[in-house]
Amino acid sequence: MRQELMEYDFIWSVNNLLSTAAKTAKGTPKEYQALLKRIPHFADLIDSMVGLGEPGIVFLESFAEYTDMILKAKAQGKKTCFTTFCQSPVILHAMDVVPLVLEVLTVAGTLIRKSAIGEFMDYCLEAGFTETSCSSQRGSMGAYLAGLAEKPDFVLIDTPGICDTNANSFAFAAAHFDIPFYQLNYPPTLDDERSIEYHRKDFKHMISFLEEQTGKKLDVGRLREIMLEMQRQDEMVCELQDLQRLIPNPVPGIYNLFIYAIRFTMAGLPACTRMIEVMLKKAKENAAAKRAGTSSGKEHKRALFVYIDHYAANLPLFNFLDQHNISHLGGILDRYYQEDAFYKGASSYKTETETLDAMIDSLARQNAHLPMVKQIRGPYDSPEMWLDEVKRLAEALNPDLAIYSGTPGCRNTWGMVKLFVNDLEKTGYPTHIINSDAFDDRVESWEATAHRLQEFLDLRGFN
Amino acid sequence: MDPIFNEAATKIQNSSLLEYKKNGGRVIGYVCSHVPEEVIAAADMLPFRLRGIEIKSTAIGDSYFGPFVCSCPKALLQNAGEGRFSFLDGAIMVQACDSMRRLDECWRKAGTDFPGSLPDFFHYFAVPHKVTEYSVQFFAEEIEKLAKAIEEHFKVSITEQKLDEAIETYNTTRDLLVQLEALRHRDSPPLTGSEAMAIVLAGTAMPKSDYNKLLGATIEDLKKQRAKTHAGKPRILLAGSVVDDLTLIDAIEAEGAVVVADTVCFGARAYSGHVEKGNSRWETLARRYLNEQFCPRMFGYSNERYELILKKFKDSKADGIVFQNIRFCDLHGSENGLFNKRLDKAGIPNTRIEREYGELSDEGRVRMRIGAFLETLERGKSAA
Repeated sequence: MRQELMEYDFIWSVNNLLSTAAKTAKGTPKEYQALLKRIPHFADLIDSMVGLGEPGIVFLESFAEYTDMILKAKAQGKKTCFTTFCQSPVILHAMDVVPLVLEVLTVAGTLIRKSAIGEFMDYCLEAGFTETSCSSQRGSMGAYLAGLAEKPDFVLIDTPGICDTNANSFAFAAAHFDIPFYQLNYPPTLDDERSIEYHRKDFKHMISFLEEQTGKKLDVGRLREIMLEMQRQDEMVCELQDLQRLIPNPVPGIYNLFIYAIRFTMAGLPACTRMIEVMLKKAKENAAAKRAGTSSGKEHKRALFVYIDHYAANLPLFNFLDQHNISHLGGILDRYYQEDAFYKGASSYKTETETLDAMIDSLARQNAHLPMVKQIRGPYDSPEMWLDEVKRLAEALNPDLAIYSGTPGCRNTWGMVKLFVNDLEKTGYPTHIINSDAFDDRVESWEATAHRLQEFLDLRGFN
Repeated sequence: MDPIFNEAATKIQNSSLLEYKKNGGRVIGYVCSHVPEEVIAAADMLPFRLRGIEIKSTAIGDSYFGPFVCSCPKALLQNAGEGRFSFLDGAIMVQACDSMRRLDECWRKAGTDFPGSLPDFFHYFAVPHKVTEYSVQFFAEEIEKLAKAIEEHFKVSITEQKLDEAIETYNTTRDLLVQLEALRHRDSPPLTGSEAMAIVLAGTAMPKSDYNKLLGATIEDLKKQRAKTHAGKPRILLAGSVVDDLTLIDAIEAEGAVVVADTVCFGARAYSGHVEKGNSRWETLARRYLNEQFCPRMFGYSNERYELILKKFKDSKADGIVFQNIRFCDLHGSENGLFNKRLDKAGIPNTRIEREYGELSDEGRVRMRIGAFLETLERGKSAA
């Protein structure tokens, strides 16, 4: 690994750049332009964030707040844990545990450390990983394995039964660091009584694990407070996603990323509420003016992402869509199945806070409906699984096209994506498979990815 | 050694299986060592572990699966598409790992393109990834559900008596295979690793009553053998991804070593532990089939697997360990990496290779790696 990458703590680097970036907008235009010249690697990213106005700046501030929580955790006597994006952080915040959400931190790394994340990924191979493991964890985990961030206290995940490469990465980290490991495990079915009971018992077991690790009993009042805040956030997210159904879609594409990045890390905390509030405000303004969420305010086509986005430096996917006036209608990472969600179908969760048991049931059910945990736990064409979801979303959102973007490490979706895409095409939705790695543009450069995407748009008559 | 073992190990439609079918027997295929064979046997049917041997390409598998997927389920689909599994009356899919569980959808879809390739009975079987009282309970219910599905589809009855008989038969097989393994641990093993693997594989592809008789007789013969055929050869413990054909072990032994033990699926993993007696057959089956945590798909049990490897290494008096993983098998691949480092620290010689599945293995490269490893073992011995 390059010496320069080993000079600073990884989380500190992310925190420092994002918090500084958030302050740039407070300068005069002249000061701002002068500053951009001094940070050539990050200028495009910062400029695009600041260009979004308040939501962009609040995102930078919120994410800086999250990384600040990580940096201060030990000094404040809090435990930290490696966890994954599809595990709700609510219970962790309620127990004063700071979640180290590796996938989100990997994306942060791709944004702020030019080429560094690739080297962190490669460091994992030195530690024993396979090169075919999912890059979404390998990026930030490499920094931890290399000692460039403070070792976590334990690992808590919910991907066994959902995504092997994910669960495997975390199990590897627990063994490597010799720290405690807990897994929430999911059966392939979702709503039958056996699975619900299994979720419930497993979730209660997890709380006992957390109590053991933190040395504290679960504070019911604190949990209720956080859950109620989360409920408010859920309602606003549902409202924001309802707006995506409008033609034109008034929600800027990048908001999808903001929603999940902040929810995966800070659900239930005020910073998350503030983030969603500012996005909702702006989207409502666009809707009132009948403006699309694109920079031009126009909507040429509507794209439904059926899996995840692409996170190469400077977020070029979002820029590509914006330049083509293509509305981003969200992806799997934005679907949480609140009872008010327009896409909920026959399966959703409700936030109940009357009793501890009700809260636990509610959280267990929420967790069972998080991205991937819900859609790809069983055969993709089973009721309520991936295909059902996407067809339902497509009916409600009126996309012109669908796009799959993932990582080569995703054995689960690559095991069936051809069949899935075939089904979507038969249903009438032109669907493009992005073959690159969403977190590692060394696998396929963004330019090559963009070229293929452009070719798809041309061939299918979308230009 | 009876040639029937080798035939059953190297040919899907072996003579024993064909004879069984000719006599009206029904066969259910399955894809993972977590499937309780006793349930199928108690329905008077033959449990048959599906393998991807005999294929010449994975063209059919590649058409359904994506590119970044292990070649093992692709090879299974290839065999299904080419009609090599046409004798199956049923198949059980398992969420063993992400690659294997997607065989469910890929095979179902291929079934429409290759008429007759999909058995009428096609069951999805859930296996928890952890061992707790509630996961054992869940798994017991899942086993009962499987039994009921078989009863309903095939109009048969799985009685407690039949289950007890099947449990006894399969426990006998396990006992016999443990005896066979003990023979391999001798200073001069009476059989090669390849021969031993052929015997173990045959047990997954022929009726158990015949198999147990043949196996018992073979063990008695081997016990009497005193020739020093394999004495002095470097002794290897084989670990990692699924090994269900002979080519990998043949390649290792062609370099002059003898494989004296393993922890692989189809190998030692298939006969570890016993189904104990208990009030609920489902629960006793669940405990055996969930508690043997050899596969890294059981997340968080890395230390237990490491200890098992150490024990096997000592018991078998192995000189070195060969860890291997099929490309895209991150579960074994990453754990192999962890173990590789731990064993290096402990001073236990080991090597780590990545390969393609089964007969598609790039033999030359594998042999070169093994040859180099054996040289280091030799050098280590000379230095000592």
